[in-house]
Amino acid sequence: MARTGVFICHCGTNIGGTVDVSKVLEAAKSMPTVAYVDDNTYSCSEPGQASIHDAIIENRLDRVVIGCCSPRMHENTFRKTVATAGINPYLLEISNIREHCSWVHGDDKEAATDKAIELVRMAVAKVASLEPLFSRQVGLTKRALVIGGGIAGIQAALDIANADYEVVLVEREPSIGGRMAQLDKTFPTLDCSACILAPKMVDVAQHPNITLLTYAEVQDVKGFVGNFEVNILQKARKVDHIKCTGCGTCWQKCLERTPSEFNLEMGKRSAIYIPFPQAVPLKPVIDTEHCAHFKYLEAKEEGRDLPDCNICQQLCPVSAIDYEQEDQIISERFGAIIVATGYQTFDHSVYHEYGSGRYADVITGLHLERLLSASGPTGGEVIRPSDGLLPKTVVFVSCVGSRDEQKGRAYCSKVCCMYMAKQAIMLKEHDPEVQCYIFYIDIRAGGKDFEEFARRAQEEYGTLYLRGRISKIYQEGKKLIVCGEDSLIGRPVEIAADLVVLATGMEPSIGAAELAQRLKISYDTNNFFIEAHPKLRPVETNTDGIFLAGSCIGPRDIPESVAQGGAAAAKVAALFSQDVLTTDPMVATIDPMLCSGCLLCTQVCPFNAIDTQVTRDGRTIALVNETMCKGCGLCVASCRFGAADLRGFTQQQILAQVTSLWR
Amino acid sequence: MDLGEQIRNKAKELIEIETVDCVIGYERATDGVGARPLFAYKPEEVDRLIFDQTCTHNLAKYLLNRKDKATAIVVKPCDSRAINLLLNESQIQRDKLFIIGVACPGITKTGLNNTSEELQAACQICQQHTPVIYDFLVGEPPASEPDIAEAYADVAAMEGQSAEERRAFWEEQFSRCIRCYACRQVCPGCYCTECFVERLDPLWVGIRIAPEENEVWNTIRAFHLAGRCIACNECERVCPVNIPLSLLNRKLEEEVRELFNFQAGMDAETPAPFATYKKEEVFPEIG
Repeated sequence: MARTGVFICHCGTNIGGTVDVSKVLEAAKSMPTVAYVDDNTYSCSEPGQASIHDAIIENRLDRVVIGCCSPRMHENTFRKTVATAGINPYLLEISNIREHCSWVHGDDKEAATDKAIELVRMAVAKVASLEPLFSRQVGLTKRALVIGGGIAGIQAALDIANADYEVVLVEREPSIGGRMAQLDKTFPTLDCSACILAPKMVDVAQHPNITLLTYAEVQDVKGFVGNFEVNILQKARKVDHIKCTGCGTCWQKCLERTPSEFNLEMGKRSAIYIPFPQAVPLKPVIDTEHCAHFKYLEAKEEGRDLPDCNICQQLCPVSAIDYEQEDQIISERFGAIIVATGYQTFDHSVYHEYGSGRYADVITGLHLERLLSASGPTGGEVIRPSDGLLPKTVVFVSCVGSRDEQKGRAYCSKVCCMYMAKQAIMLKEHDPEVQCYIFYIDIRAGGKDFEEFARRAQEEYGTLYLRGRISKIYQEGKKLIVCGEDSLIGRPVEIAADLVVLATGMEPSIGAAELAQRLKISYDTNNFFIEAHPKLRPVETNTDGIFLAGSCIGPRDIPESVAQGGAAAAKVAALFSQDVLTTDPMVATIDPMLCSGCLLCTQVCPFNAIDTQVTRDGRTIALVNETMCKGCGLCVASCRFGAADLRGFTQQQILAQVTSLWR
Repeated sequence: MDLGEQIRNKAKELIEIETVDCVIGYERATDGVGARPLFAYKPEEVDRLIFDQTCTHNLAKYLLNRKDKATAIVVKPCDSRAINLLLNESQIQRDKLFIIGVACPGITKTGLNNTSEELQAACQICQQHTPVIYDFLVGEPPASEPDIAEAYADVAAMEGQSAEERRAFWEEQFSRCIRCYACRQVCPGCYCTECFVERLDPLWVGIRIAPEENEVWNTIRAFHLAGRCIACNECERVCPVNIPLSLLNRKLEEEVRELFNFQAGMDAETPAPFATYKKEEVFPEIG
């Protein structure tokens, strides 16, 4: 027979002021299995805990009910208390008589007292059927996977590597660097973006703890925290990167020319290429779609005749060109995964009023970055894409694909106000005759030195800010006529511009949702990944061992991305500092005798925590992975067979609670 | 060539070349009028196979006992949906199955020592005359399809009643239940290793045969079949006290179709509504 102790906390007057604690104690005395009752002013205080501890020992109690605040507050505190008195910590039941009772029934003390008695009665009924539970320990692989080689991923990889853990950094482009590599200067300090990024990229390449896999993608992910099994697709580069020295002969001698993705198709690159001069690794890949050799091979197969070319193979001093190279699957085990897949810019072709991309001289902010950059397609000279003339009047349009519910983008992209101010300053620096106009809705310059910077763009560099949206842009001769409204003076405005820059917003990189599905992490309606808690767990996901960093979560600027990369790395390092992982025993179980193997639970489980196993009599049934299970109970609710159950909340225990109320 | 002969020829071929070791079909019952299930293992047993408008049983249920044995089975359209259901719920394996589908003109009320030309209730409103899954098809579907609104006229009438009227109606129906569980035994969707009604700990349903316990049994069974019932109506046919179970089942079928645009067993791949969440699913106010 169980010997239950019931302890009621007054919580000062929080509970005691509304609930008549002495009546609750009196009622509890006659409840089944109750051997001892007591009250505390504050059960969670040190004297309160000590009195519970002593009462357990003196009265040989083996189960404890504490009537107090929500278990969210102090369940763990009291588990430790009962454990020190020698009771299994899971033989404790919290009866929430504060949030569920005294706080909501302050106007009716009698009813609140009655309800408290019933709540305690239910807890007493449940505690008698509780069973001791024990944690299990599992090992972990102390190697991290970072997905995405932008600044957030680079920072995360470096920080984990510096904590002396192995890291594999996967990037789907031929070089790491991400969007930051495409930027010219950074606000508000006007540091050269590539100059501050390049040393970090080189550090990644040289770090003994980092394995860099560029031109590679994560294909599928299995397993759980500490024990992920990941297949990575290494796309065929057609170049042996072990032999290649990056001498540059091949990409200098290649005869093919095709639009450069890195320069947003404003410049050309060769078919065997590195995306930009500071690329890491500084070793090329062959774009088989545009390479003359592969075009020749394809034509030969179709029976057509095209001239062959293998100039890169002939000239390579180390014979690194390998036309036969195939895609490869690399399987690795990881203990933790950081997702830092970043953003792409909004496709403005849905904006008919801005020309849907018809006008060559209506460009995006990222295009202007490439034009401003000394390593860009024009060598840093800002010219009109249509005719190469120098623009003198430049109009910026803010919130293109941001704060526009009609285009399905309700959120603010956060960086555009600042990059417009920066670009206006840079244009004026390049050519003092340039006049910039910025059509804005609000100037959002919340950040260290941001407001001062935006003000400088106006006051020192003479940028004219006009508050209002643009209604139409159309071509008239060589000019682009921008029609808008200055809503501050309430008058329509027309500006004849040489160049129009659309401040396109941020959206998640292509494939973000598919990656989230592979990782079983959640994403919102805009396909941004969802953090475990927006404030208190900003770089965690709801899946243990998978962390987030940078603008894959939402619009971020560079310092925030770097901070998040570091934060995620710190979480990984803390995880890896343990030699074993302790699992929470309050998880689902599946009775192998009752399970009929419909496997509905494997489909409803949000944590991918249910595997299958084959029984000795050949039945395929469900099996809970206790490390991944969070004890949400969805499998229990979906199981028609009654095979799934939740430890600490078993069907018997809940029925005991419910039936205790029938009197 | 009549349907029976086509089935016999195919079955013989399957047994002789050992594609399967058993053909589940129908043979003439001992009353000389009705049909009963036949398990044919040998070529000479195959000769007893028939098919006509008396072949009422949903044979898919028997596949649950032959999960990993190569089996051929004769299915009507409604039975074929049961096969999809069982495939979807990982109960049977497609590569172990050879499905002889029969385009069905409807089954008559012919039963033990009783010949009738009238179609069974479920067949009068049947929407599916060609099997949804088969390897070999015999027969021609009838030309005309009945009106869907007509199929749910009795459900609509029930919905038109007040909550009190409905309660009184079902209380009366369930009070007659003798808990023989024939409905469960005949249902291809009822395959729990231990039925909730037989669990002792926790004891979900009291053991005595009393109206309130019967009500628990019938309601939970209906909910377990929500979005899973494939409308063969065998439960209602075998009920010895004539509880209108199809009314309950079709009410739930209609709800699932309207809320989730889902019909059980139409294919083997679409995940059950329970397993998916779609943003466009909107739940009505519960009135």
